[in-house]
This record gives sequence, structure tokens and C-alpha cells, in this order.
Amino acid sequence: MPTNASNQSLIRMEGLTKVFYTDEVETHALSGVHLEIRAGEYLSIAGPSGCGKSTLLSILGLLDSPTDGTYLLKEKPVQGLDMAERARIRNREIGFIFQSFNLIGDLTVFENVELPLTYRGTKSAERTKKANEALEKVGMAHRARHLPSQLSGGQQQRVAVARALVGDPMMLLADEPTGNLDSKNGDAVMELLRGLHRGGATICMVTHDPRFARHADRTVHLFDGRVVEETMEVVS
Amino acid sequence: MKSLWQDLRYGFRMLVQNPGFTAVAVLTLGLGIGANTAIFSVVNAVLLKPLSYANAERLTMAWENNLAKGWSSFAVSPANFLDWQKQNHVFDPLVAFLNSGFVLTGQGEPEMLSGMQTTDGFFRLTGVEPALGRAFRGEEFEAGKNRVVILSHALWQRRFEGSPEVLDKAVTFSGESYTVLGVMPKGYRIPQGADLLAPLTLTPDMLSHRGSHYLVAMGRLKPGVTLQQAQSEMSGIATALAKQYPNTNTGWNANLVPLYEEIVGEVRPALLALFAAVGFVLLIACGNVTNLLLARGASRQKEIALRAALGAGRIRIIRQLLTESMLLALAGGAIALLVGQWGVELLRALQPANLPRMQELGISSSVLLFTFALSLVTGLVFGSAPALLISRSSLSETLKEGGRGSGSGGRHRLKGALVIAQVALSLVLLVGAGLQIRSFLHLMEVDPGFDSTNVLTMGVSLPDTKYTDAERQTAFIQQALENLKALPGVKSAAAVSTVPLGDSDLIYSLVVEGRTVPKGQEPSANWYSVSPDYFQTLRIALVRGRVFTEHDDSTAKRVAVINESLARRIFPGEDPIGRQIRMGINSQAVREIVGIVKDVKHYALESRFTMQMYEPYRQQTRDSMVFLLRTDTDPASLTSAARRAIFSLDKEQPVSEARTLEELVSASASQRRFNTLLIGFFAVVALVLAAVGIYGVVAYSVAQRTHEIGVRMALGAQKRDVFSLVLRQGMVLVVTGVILGLAGAMALTRLISQLLFNVSALDAATFLSTPLLLAAVALLACYLPARRASRVDPMVALRYE
Repeated sequence: MPTNASNQSLIRMEGLTKVFYTDEVETHALSGVHLEIRAGEYLSIAGPSGCGKSTLLSILGLLDSPTDGTYLLKEKPVQGLDMAERARIRNREIGFIFQSFNLIGDLTVFENVELPLTYRGTKSAERTKKANEALEKVGMAHRARHLPSQLSGGQQQRVAVARALVGDPMMLLADEPTGNLDSKNGDAVMELLRGLHRGGATICMVTHDPRFARHADRTVHLFDGRVVEETMEVVS
Repeated sequence: MKSLWQDLRYGFRMLVQNPGFTAVAVLTLGLGIGANTAIFSVVNAVLLKPLSYANAERLTMAWENNLAKGWSSFAVSPANFLDWQKQNHVFDPLVAFLNSGFVLTGQGEPEMLSGMQTTDGFFRLTGVEPALGRAFRGEEFEAGKNRVVILSHALWQRRFEGSPEVLDKAVTFSGESYTVLGVMPKGYRIPQGADLLAPLTLTPDMLSHRGSHYLVAMGRLKPGVTLQQAQSEMSGIATALAKQYPNTNTGWNANLVPLYEEIVGEVRPALLALFAAVGFVLLIACGNVTNLLLARGASRQKEIALRAALGAGRIRIIRQLLTESMLLALAGGAIALLVGQWGVELLRALQPANLPRMQELGISSSVLLFTFALSLVTGLVFGSAPALLISRSSLSETLKEGGRGSGSGGRHRLKGALVIAQVALSLVLLVGAGLQIRSFLHLMEVDPGFDSTNVLTMGVSLPDTKYTDAERQTAFIQQALENLKALPGVKSAAAVSTVPLGDSDLIYSLVVEGRTVPKGQEPSANWYSVSPDYFQTLRIALVRGRVFTEHDDSTAKRVAVINESLARRIFPGEDPIGRQIRMGINSQAVREIVGIVKDVKHYALESRFTMQMYEPYRQQTRDSMVFLLRTDTDPASLTSAARRAIFSLDKEQPVSEARTLEELVSASASQRRFNTLLIGFFAVVALVLAAVGIYGVVAYSVAQRTHEIGVRMALGAQKRDVFSLVLRQGMVLVVTGVILGLAGAMALTRLISQLLFNVSALDAATFLSTPLLLAAVALLACYLPARRASRVDPMVALRYE
């Protein structure tokens, strides 16, 4: 059993399908995916390149919509939500960690981290407090006034993690978070995620590296848009 | 040289391969440079081109002035002119002119011609000789021997079919036979556009009225004599004359004005303001092309990095980029010549009546040279900064980026600075245009004191050989008025010696019976001879008393009507009605004031009201009168019928060109209308170019930041967050530009204060409304890319990487 997972279902997907249309070609990125993520779970989505991992993560993060199937977030269907409501959920419930960090180059580390709170309308004093806390948590408080270009890749990803954490989201979605890092920095980031999970965070991570997938409680294997296998890490 | 040729070939190929970019840049430059070409052609023709006289810088107008009466440049009296001519040592020669009407008869339809009578020395003064025949000889300036003329080339062609046989032939002018001595060269314009030259003989009668000023004098400064020396000597002569003839010359002095200043002095500020305005338009256009080059430079970063990697030095790369800019600028220059030619045609069509030397307007070699030079300078202006910035890109970073363009900080800052500058320049132009438009609107609201709608004017100049006395002249005018009144569609008809806003007026000293005024301090008033229906026809309101009637003829008591300004200034706190006045300090004839009428604008709509007095034409007529017909239809449609009505009295009596009074009012505002139209047009062009610039920069920034926008949306930014982010980015630049523009406008509009009418150079309404207009347009320019940004699909944007 997963160490922190509760029985409360955060996400439930049933028969989820995603089809891309390019000219006259139909590409089935996802075909009938069933997936459930419980609160406090650390889930890894693994599979070869082009298997639909990132598409699934985008749908999970409400950046994209499924062509067919059901997606329930906290038991509420997300189909039919307008753009504003989706943006509100992304802002309050989901924290994104991207492969290429996606920090905004013109903003300082601190400004990058407080950005989700800005969109939430949080007052300045509280924003400052929470952003500082998030930076402390990832060990980047001392770099708050720096620009992203002044940081190493590993440091940038730590800042990205702080940005994902700052709004106390329901779930962290990480898309190949170590993909642009060397092994040392990759390990450090994985350790950071592991620590967050131990603190109770729900994490869903896409990775093609089995070494990192093993950090999760459970791994869902995708192939050609279908879930072909689920493995559980046994806690010794 | 070989590498330059390579650069040119490569640059040409790059421009051809990017037709969209090339077309937008070349057209923008063509418009900007072309507008400069058109206005430069006016500046060149009016201000820069030397006058068409030998050593024209020594030609000087010699005016009289009477500063106590506010007259800085006044016509010269014949007697004073003769004394000037005799006593001065600074001019060689000093010549007087008198513009006179010459009625050509016996050559088909009679025609009223404009003749320029001149004293001896005209050809020496101007350095121009007749192309055909000969100049006047000394004896031909003596009375009885002066019936000779020299024709303008245009008159010779038009009325004498360009036949050389006209020489030494007798031609009848104003009922007298004149011998044609010569024809002036083609293209030579006789002063004031006259049709012919004739000798001016200063008769004893003319010389006996020293107080009558009606000659125009011009002299050529002797070599080595400065204007100041000449002014000093002429002032000395004038002072001596004032002592010698205190009755007529007290308060009078001489005022010398270089001919060039006389011709262009008044229009120079307006033309320079227009030239500055069009320069601003070009700078704004340059800003847009610079932005285009920066945007294109971003997409060429990898190509530039590769060139550098292959060994091209920075100077070599800058040269390559500048060569491309020069090619663009020269292509823009070629388009500019077309735009300039169209502009010149348009300016010819729009030209105000009083803009001098416009007949010399055209695309001359100097204009071509200016356009070429301006194209090169423009190429340097818009090409330098992008070349320097693009060539400075980091080689390793660019190649690592895999050729994807990304803007450098320097480029972003330059783009922002360009938008700020464009907004600031546009605002200066808009404020200038706003002030001009408000001046024009104020001018249009001026009440001229008469109703100009539905009034036709046409003049006659009765030759004194035929209409030898006042009785005959009066009889002709009276009969003509009866004929004109009988025409269908004519509600009333009247005659006046000079029509409002038409020809120059006669001014007389005014003597009030029973008052003693120190010599030289007599008040002066404009004088008009009018028929009884004049006030009714022009709807000039009677304030008190009465206007003239048919009974006010030569047998009746002499009467006068004055205007309110005269009543106020000469009879403050008194009742002028019944008071007696004389016109001219030596006049014995006394007129009784019988009425006061409203003030009338006679010189220009923007001039102040002068003191005016009217006399019945049957008590004091003139050989030149203007008929006024108030009609109940389009007045121009009655022109032929009105001409026939006058011809029916005398088939040899020509009528001057018929014009409506509205045309005269319109002509009075033509210079201001011309300036307002042009500066308004340039301001609109500037506004559009600035808006395009703002749009381009913001849209480019949105395109560059698509990924960032996607990240922001992934983090929960709402559409309105992204929309306001982009809008704010654009509007911060706009507001900065507006602040700088307002400061610039406050500094620069003071320079055009003399061009304004009833509007302060810091007019609050203009300074408030124009920034709002600019901000509204800028907001629209930012709105479109902001809306596009807010519609970015975060999924697509994140895939963008």
C-alpha cells in the first residue's frame, strides 16, 4: 500500500480518449484510459516516447480536454467547465512542474514563485510570506532576488517546485522534472519530491526513466495510449 | 569593392525573398520620404531658390512707414520718391512702380489687363531685358512720349498669337494708342503678375500731393553698401523731408526691406513648421522600419551567428546589414519620388492665393538631390541601431538555441524606446495640428460684418480718356446698376470702390471740424465710395442714423457714414451724427456724418477692424468700382447675364473676373486652410504610423512571449490577467511617450504661436484632447494583440517550446 495515500479519490478517469486531428489523419493519443489518483498518493506515469504520457498529464492538469470519457476531480466532472473555471482550478488545486522549468526570464526568482498567488488575488504581505516559505522549503531562499538566467538548471527546477508548492495545491503534476538535468541534480529534485510526498503532497509525475519511476508508490505504464500495466512499490 | 558588390547582391536577394517585409518597409519609407520631398519642393521653390534676378540679394523694397499710425510698410508718395531718388547715394537705381488697369480694345473681346507702370531704370534694376524688341528709352518717360508698352510673354502669346509683327504696332489700351516696344522673356514674371510694362511719368499733379502715398519703390543697393547703411541714409533723408514738409511728412520715415524678405518673410514660419512636421512623420516612419528590422533580425540570428562562426567580423556583418538598409531606403526613395510628384500636384491644387513663387514649384534637380540624400540619411537612421544590436548577439548562445529567435534585452529596450519616441513625436504633431485646427475654426467663426452668401462681385475700371469726368463715370455706374437690378434672380445690386477682403483700400487722414490735432497725428480711416444700396446688399447693419439714399447726389449736401470703430475712437462719449469731417489734411470739402454702421473686415478675416468711412458714389466717385449682386440663386450662375448687362452699356468696357463674395472670404482664409490641411494630414499620418508601430511592437512581443503566456495560464492566469498584462505593457510605453510628447509640445508650440489665431500656444482644450485621442488610438493598437494573447491556448503555447 502507498505510504500516505488515503481512500479519498482526488481524480477518477474512466474511458478517457483523446484524438488529435491533423488534416485527414486521426491520431489516438489516449484510448480508454481508466485512472484513479487518491489523496496523498505519489503516482508515476511511465512509458516510451509518444505513448500519451504528456497528453494524459495535460488533461489531468486541465490544460487540455479529453475527446471522450469521464474525468472527475474531487468527484465533480470537469467536462463543461469554462476557461475561467479551469484557470481557477489550475491556480488553486494544481501545481505544475515542467521539464524545462518554464520560469519567466524577466521575473526574479521570488516574483516567479509568487506568481500563482498574484493570479489568485492574494494580498502582498501573504504572498511574500508564502513565497518565502516555499523558497525555504526547496532551499532557494538565498537566491530570491536572482533572475532565472543566473541559476543552474537544478536550481531553476527547485524554484519551479517552489512555484508549484506556493499555493498549497491539491496535487503536483510533474512532467519529466529531471529531463533537463544531470543525474546529480536529477536525483536532488527527485529527493525533493519524495520529501514533499512524505509531507503529505499528492504527486503525479510523468517520466520515461524507470529509475525515477520507482520513487513513486504506484506506476502506471502507458503504451500506445492505453494503460498496459500498473506496478506498486512495496514499502519495506 | 568586390565584397561590397557581394553585399549588394545578397541584400537584394534577401529583400526579394521577403516580399512582405520589403513591401511594408519600402512603402512606409516611400510615404515618409515622399511627404518630405513634396514639402521640400515647396520650401525649395519659395524659400531656397534664388530670386530670378541678377544679384537679387541687393534688391531692396523701399517703403515709407508711420509707426504712430501702425503702418510699418506703406506706399510711397511720388514727391517723396523723387526726393529719395535725387538725394540717396545707396541705390542704383531706385525705381517706382504703379499698378494700373489697361483696357485692351480693338483686338477682339475687350479685356482688362494688369499693367505695371515703372519709372526709368526697371531693366537695370532687375537685370532682365526684353526677349523681343527693346527696353524703354529715357525720353519715353516724358509726358506725351510715354504711350509705349512691353508685353509679357504670356499676353503676347494669348492675345497676339506670338507674332513678332506686333513690334512697333499701335495697340489701343484704355482708349489710347500705345506702341508695342517689346516682349519679355518666356517664364519671366513681371512684378505682381502684370500683363505688361509701361513707363511711369511722375506728373506735376502727382508731385503736388506729397501726402498721397500709392507708389511701390524698389532699389538695387550699390556694391559694398549694406542694408543698415542704406537704412541710415534713407532715414536721414526722410527726417529732412519731415522738417521741410511738416504738413505732410511729420511722422513718416523710410523702411527698407530686402526683396527676398518681402516676398517670403510672412510665409517662412508656416513653411518651416510644415517642414518640421513632415520631418517628424519621417522619423516616426523610421521608427517603424527599425522595429521591422529588429523583428526580422531576431529571425535571422542564426544566419548572423553562422556568418560570424565562419569568420565574418562584426564590422563586416554591420556593413552587410547596413547595405540591406540602404537598398531599402533607396527603393523607398524611388517610391518617394512618385509620392512627391503626387504631393506636388496636390499642393498645386491646394495652394493658397497668397503663397508666393508657387509657379516655380516642381520636382527640380535640387529636389531630386534632396530626396536621394534624405534616402541615404534615412537608411542610416533606421538601419544603424538594428545593425549594431543584431551583430552583437552572443554566438554560442544563438547557435545553442538551435536557431530559434529570441529577443535580447537591448532589442527590447530599443523597441520600447522607439514606441515612446513615436508616441511623443506624434503627440507634438497632433497638438500642433489641434492648435491650427482650432485657429482655423475660430477664423471661420469670425463675423466679417457682412453677409457673404449669394453675392456676386465684378469690377470695372473706366478709362479716363472715355469717362473723362465724374459725371460720366457716375452715369455709367448708375445705368449699370439699373441694368443689373433688372436681371432675374437679382435681389439687390450695389457698387463700392473696393470690395471687402478684395483689393487694397484707400486711406485718408480724417479732420474733424472744430478740432485741432498736432501735425502728423491726424487719425486715418479707410474710405469707400458706395451706392445707396451697398449696406442693404451686403447686409451691413445700421447702428444709428441713416444710410445713403438716391437723393445724396452731387447737388445735395455732402454726407458720410462711419463705422462703429471710428465712432468709438474719434468721438468717444459724443454723438457723431451731425458732426462734420474732412478727408485729407488739405481737403476743403466738408461731409456731415449721417449714420453709423457695423464694422466690416476689409483686409483679412484675422485682421482687426479698422476705422472706416463711406461716401455716396454720386458725391465722390471712383473710376474703378466693383458691382455687388445679391441673388436668390447660385450667384455664379448670373455671371454671363451680369457681363451682358454691362456690355450693353459699352461694348468696349471689359469686366474683371467675376467672383463670389464667399470666394473672397474663402481666399482670405486660404493660407491658414492650406497649413491646417497639411499639418492635419501629417498629424493623421503620424498617428497612424505610431499606432502601427505600437501594434507591431506589442504584437511582436506577444508572439515572442507566447510560451511565457502559456506558462502563466498554466499557473492559473485568467484571460483578463493576460489581457491586462499585454495592455499594460503597451500602455506604459504610450503613457511615457505622451508625457514626453506633452513636454515637447509645450516647448515647440511656442515657436508657432505667431501662426495661431485667437488660440493660446498652450491651449488647455488642445493639450487635453489630443493626448486622449492618441491614447485611445494606442489603446486600440494594444487591444488587438492583447486580445490575441488572452486567447492563447496554454497547451499550444507550452508545446511551442
